[in-house]
Amino acid sequence: MREREIPRRKISLSIFFIPALILIIFFVIFPVLQNIFISFFSPSGEFVGLNNYFDVLSRREVVNVERLSRGFPLGALIHNVIWILIHLPLSLFSGLVLAIILRDVKGASIVKSTIFLGMVTPMIVGGLILRFTFEKGVGVVNALFNLLGFEQLARTWTAYPDTALFALVFGSVWLWTGFSMILYSAGLATIPKDYYEAAKIDGATPLRTFFRITLPLLKPITLTVITMTILWELKIFDIVYVATLGGPGGASNVLALLMYHIAFRQFDLNSAAVVATFLTLLTLLVTIGMTKYMVKK
Amino acid sequence: MATTMENVIAALVIIAIIVSAGSLYYAMTVASQLGATVESVADLSGSVVELTGAMGDLAASMGDVAEKVGTSVETIEAIEGRLKAVEEGLAGLQPTLTIVGPWAGKEMDAFVPVIDRFERLTGMRVNFKILRAEDLAPVLPAQFEAGLAPGDVIFMWAWFINEKAGDGHVMDLTGVIDETTLSPGALDPVKVDGKIYGGAYTGKVKPGFWYRKSFFEDNNLTPPSTWAEFVTLLDTIADIPGVVDPIATGDGVGWPISDVTEHFLITFGDPQLQRDLIAGTVDWTSPQVRAIFEDRIVPLLEAGYFSEPIEWTTAIELWWGGDYGLYFMGSWITGMVEDPEDLGVFSIPGSEGLVFAADYFFVPEYTLYPEEAKQLAQFLASAEAQRLQVAQGGHIATALAVSLDAYPAVDRGVAEVLVGKEVLSDLDDTIGGEFQATFWDQLKLLWVNPEALDDVLEALQEKAA
Repeated sequence: MREREIPRRKISLSIFFIPALILIIFFVIFPVLQNIFISFFSPSGEFVGLNNYFDVLSRREVVNVERLSRGFPLGALIHNVIWILIHLPLSLFSGLVLAIILRDVKGASIVKSTIFLGMVTPMIVGGLILRFTFEKGVGVVNALFNLLGFEQLARTWTAYPDTALFALVFGSVWLWTGFSMILYSAGLATIPKDYYEAAKIDGATPLRTFFRITLPLLKPITLTVITMTILWELKIFDIVYVATLGGPGGASNVLALLMYHIAFRQFDLNSAAVVATFLTLLTLLVTIGMTKYMVKK
Repeated sequence: MATTMENVIAALVIIAIIVSAGSLYYAMTVASQLGATVESVADLSGSVVELTGAMGDLAASMGDVAEKVGTSVETIEAIEGRLKAVEEGLAGLQPTLTIVGPWAGKEMDAFVPVIDRFERLTGMRVNFKILRAEDLAPVLPAQFEAGLAPGDVIFMWAWFINEKAGDGHVMDLTGVIDETTLSPGALDPVKVDGKIYGGAYTGKVKPGFWYRKSFFEDNNLTPPSTWAEFVTLLDTIADIPGVVDPIATGDGVGWPISDVTEHFLITFGDPQLQRDLIAGTVDWTSPQVRAIFEDRIVPLLEAGYFSEPIEWTTAIELWWGGDYGLYFMGSWITGMVEDPEDLGVFSIPGSEGLVFAADYFFVPEYTLYPEEAKQLAQFLASAEAQRLQVAQGGHIATALAVSLDAYPAVDRGVAEVLVGKEVLSDLDDTIGGEFQATFWDQLKLLWVNPEALDDVLEALQEKAA
C-alpha cells in the first residue's frame, strides 16, 4: 500500500512541476540556446564557427590593450572588472557596518528603509539621479566638495573619461548598499544572543567577538551577497545607459551596453549574441563557483 | 329789557341761520368735490381691474410661451443628446490612431493643436505616445519581426526609415504625400528606389549661437561679423562678472555637441564638405577635416570658452539666467524660453550653409488601419498641419504653402538667417547607425579632453568606413 503511494506522489509532484518547466524551457532555455546558436553564424546566415568570437572579443571596445597604460577607455570587459573590484568590497563592507550599527538602535527600521530606498528605486531612475548628482552646477557631490574646500574636485564627473566610471561605481554603491545591509541584518538576527553573552563572560573584546562570532556566522550571507553583487555588476546596464551611455569616448562602457550597441545600433545580432554568450559564461562561472563553495562549506 | 333779549335772540337766530347756511354751502361744495373724487376712484378702479385683467391675460400668454419654450429646450436637449450619441457612435466606428513621437512637455503641447485639427476634420481620435528615436531604435526591429508596431504613424530617423523600408517593414507612401508641395529634396532621405517611404513634417534649423538680446544690450555686445570678432566676443563675455563660461555646451546623448561641430565643419570646410562626409568620400582623418578641428574647435576648447557638457535643458536655464553668454541649439529653443522676443541668433561669420533637420515619419506595414494612417500621414505633410505647428514656435515648415506670416516673429528671424545659405542635411542623422552613437560619444570626449583629437578622429573614421 505504502509502496503504491510513493510513485503516485511523485507523479502528482511532477504534474505541478510541468507548468514551471514549460515556462523555463520556452522563456529561458530556448532563448539561451538560440542565442548561442546564432553566435556561430554571420548576419547573412552563413556558419562561421568561432570567427564571430575572435572578431568581437578582439575589438578594442572589449579590451583596449593600447590604452591600458594611458588611461580610459580600457574596454568594456576591463571596466566591468574595475566595477567589481571597487563596488563589491565597498557595498559589502558598508552593508555589514550599517547592519551592525543599526542592529540595536531604536527606530533602526526607518533608517534601514531609507537606505534600502536606493535598492527599490528603478535603476533607470537611479542612473538619472547619479547623472545629476555628479553634475558640476547642480550636483550634491560637487556642492559637498565646494563646501569642504576641495574645489579642484568639483566638476561634472560623468563628463570626463578619467572620472566617469568611478562616478558610476561610487554612485551604484549607494544604490546597492541597501541590499547587503538588509541581508546582513537578517543574518545578524539569526545569531543567538547566548554566544555574545558567553563571550562577554569570558572577557572577549567587542572586536574579538566580531571576528570570532559575528563574521564566521555571517559567512553564508556574505557568500550570497558576493554572488548576487557580482552577477549584478556583470550585467550592469541601466545606470550606465542613462547616466553616460558608456561615454565619454567609451570611458564608462560595459559589456551589457556594448551588446546593446552592437545589437541595436549596428543591427548585428550575431555579434551581439557573442557578447551575450560571453556574459552568460562569466555569470555561470561565478554562480557555479560560488554555489560549489557554499555547498562544500 | 324783554325787547333787548328778543333782539339778542333774533340776532343769534340770524347768525345761526347764516352760519348754518354757510356750513351747508361748504358741506355741499365738499360733497360735490368728494363725489368727483369717488367718481375718479371708481374710474381708476375700473382701469385697475381692466389692467389686472390684461395682466392676467398676459400672464396666461406668458405661461403658454414658457410652456412652449420649456418644451423647445427639452427638445433641443433631446436633440443634443441624440447628436452626442450619434457622435459617440461614429467615434466608436472610427479607429483611434496612435502617433509615436519624441516630443514631451512644451514641445508636445505645441503638437496638440495639430492632432486636434485632424480629429475635428476626420472624426477619428488620435493618441500621442512619447518615445524618442533612441528608445525606438531597439524596440522597432523586434516588433517588426513579430508583425507589430507601437503606432500607426511613427516619427523616426530618416536613415532608420530607409533601412527598414528596404526590409519591407514600411508602407509605401508614393502618391499619398505630394512631393511637389514640400521643400525640394525634403523627401530624398526617405526614398528607396524612387519610392517615398516617409513624410517630412516640420523641421528645425540649427542656425548658430543664440543669445539674449537683453544680455547683449546690458553688456554692450554685438554679434560678430568676422572670426576675429567672434573670438573677441568670447573674450569679452568671459570677463563679464557672474558668467561661468562664454558658451554653454548642451549634452543630451551627445547630439548638441555634434550640432556645434557640424556648424564649424560647414563654415570652415564649406557645405560640400558636409555632403562628402555624409557620403563617406572624405575621411575624418583627412587634413581638411583635421585642420578645422585643430585650428578652430580645439583652440576654443583649450581656452575654456565652452563649458563642460551640461544636460541640455538644464543648460538652457543656466544660459537664460546669465551663467553663460551663448548657447548653440536648434530653432526649437524658441519654444522653450520664457520670452522668445528676447532671443537673438548668429552664425559663425562666413558660414554658407546651415543644417535643416526635418522630423521624418513613416507608416509601419503592420498598422491595423492602413488607409486612416495614410490619411494622417498626408495631413502631417500638409500645409494646414504645418501652419498650426509653426505658429507655436520653434518649427520651420517643409510644406511650401506655409507663408512667413504663419511664424512667430522670432522664427521669422531664424528664417532670415537662412537667407542666402545652403540648406544641408544633419550629418549624423543621415548616416545613423553605429557611426551616430560614436560621433556623439567621441565629441563628448573631445570637449573635455581636446588633446585626444587624433584618437577621436581615428575612432570616427573607423566607424565611418
